Amino acid sequence: MSNSTESNKPEIDRVQLVYASVLDVVSTAGMAMIAAGFLAYVLQLLPLTVSIEDIASHWHLRSGEMNSILSVPSGWSWVRDPLHGDVLSFVSIVFLSMAAMICLITVIPVFLSEKNRAYALIAILQVLVLAAAVAGLASGGN
Amino acid sequence: MTTAGGKKIWWLLSAVLLTALSLLLPPDAAAASLQIGGGIAWWVWVVLLFVFSFFLGIVSVLAGVGGGVLFVPIVSSFFPFHLDFVRGAGLLVALSGALSAGPSLLRKGLADLKLSLPLSLIGSISSVAGAIVGLTMSADSVQLLLGIAIIVIAAIMIKGGKSGYPVVDEQDVIARALGISGSYYEPSIEKSIDWKVHRTPVGLVLFFFIGFIGGMFGMGAGWANVPVLNLLMGAPLKISVATSGLVLSMNGAAAAWIYMYKGAVLPLIAVPAVGGVMLGSKIGAKILSKVNTNSVRIIVIVMMVIAGLRSITKGIGL
Repeated sequence: MSNSTESNKPEIDRVQLVYASVLDVVSTAGMAMIAAGFLAYVLQLLPLTVSIEDIASHWHLRSGEMNSILSVPSGWSWVRDPLHGDVLSFVSIVFLSMAAMICLITVIPVFLSEKNRAYALIAILQVLVLAAAVAGLASGGN
Repeated sequence: MTTAGGKKIWWLLSAVLLTALSLLLPPDAAAASLQIGGGIAWWVWVVLLFVFSFFLGIVSVLAGVGGGVLFVPIVSSFFPFHLDFVRGAGLLVALSGALSAGPSLLRKGLADLKLSLPLSLIGSISSVAGAIVGLTMSADSVQLLLGIAIIVIAAIMIKGGKSGYPVVDEQDVIARALGISGSYYEPSIEKSIDWKVHRTPVGLVLFFFIGFIGGMFGMGAGWANVPVLNLLMGAPLKISVATSGLVLSMNGAAAAWIYMYKGAVLPLIAVPAVGGVMLGSKIGAKILSKVNTNSVRIIVIVMMVIAGLRSITKGIGL
């Protein structure tokens, strides 16, 4: 133990509390979207771009092989035609995958207001890495 | 231990043992038997995946491992889904668990943002690289390497020590410059614990490799993050476990996008897996205090060794 003192509960860093609050909202919304999107998908409340039976008869193939036969939602392809059950379910996963990035973007101004330039820079770089992945720069995009 | 508690534990251990025994079946036996006679409806696989993920969620909490590390080798061996889709789902399983636990751990001061950010920056770059490499390699090669990785992880779990409150005499230059230190309230001793870290440069290098492996195999990396944070860098165990999740939420997100662009994330597989593991984890957390976690941990390690051997034999085409 590096050091221990009998004192009141330590104060939590303000940046951390902001990050926690945003994460709470985003992750809860993400989970609700995932549940709702999946129900819309499997109960076929909306039309599908690819039928579930087609997916199930090809899910033993590599992703590249499946994509050459079926046009499953990937990357940002769903933007063109979002009102489908399978697309909405995919969008909920997209949202969840952007949760960390959303939280980081909200804490950069807090780091800057505290004049913590080193962490503001690290957070900006982390957002850029995530944004590059989201934009498909590393994977060729679509 | 109460009688009701004892019964619950026996049910749980029976379920774990049954799962372990099922791993002894020949490769693809489960998938083959269900496909005989014109195939099985898709929803049967989806329900089975949900139920399996639910039990996995319970077991992973009791054994102190992330769900992703068990999910990928076992699901890729016993379900008819291609390894690409299993890895995509595995990353989302690890990511969702980390996201849902994050707010509470951050507010308690257990997950530390300043400790996690430099490590996740390095790790997210390498996890993207790992995902690209993993999706470029042949499925057999990935399966073989996955098997080897799982057995190495099991060995780390057997050998791996842990230190509740490591001693850090002097911080390294990076940790001092970035002010990586903190304090949290430990209710078991009713005291505030101050902590700091050292050996940050070595930690950064190791997090690069951990991120790469996590992205390549679609696994969470708590099995490696925690020992590096705790035993190498000197963060207290609770800080290490909680901060590992925070790192994972960023690394997993970066790698998940590579899988999403390659069409390797199917909601039909990913969502039941995420839902099952998250529900199971909540149950696991509730019964944690009533179960002999050491016994469950041993069973899980045995399951991992068998799943790893299965992956290796599948990878070399046996």
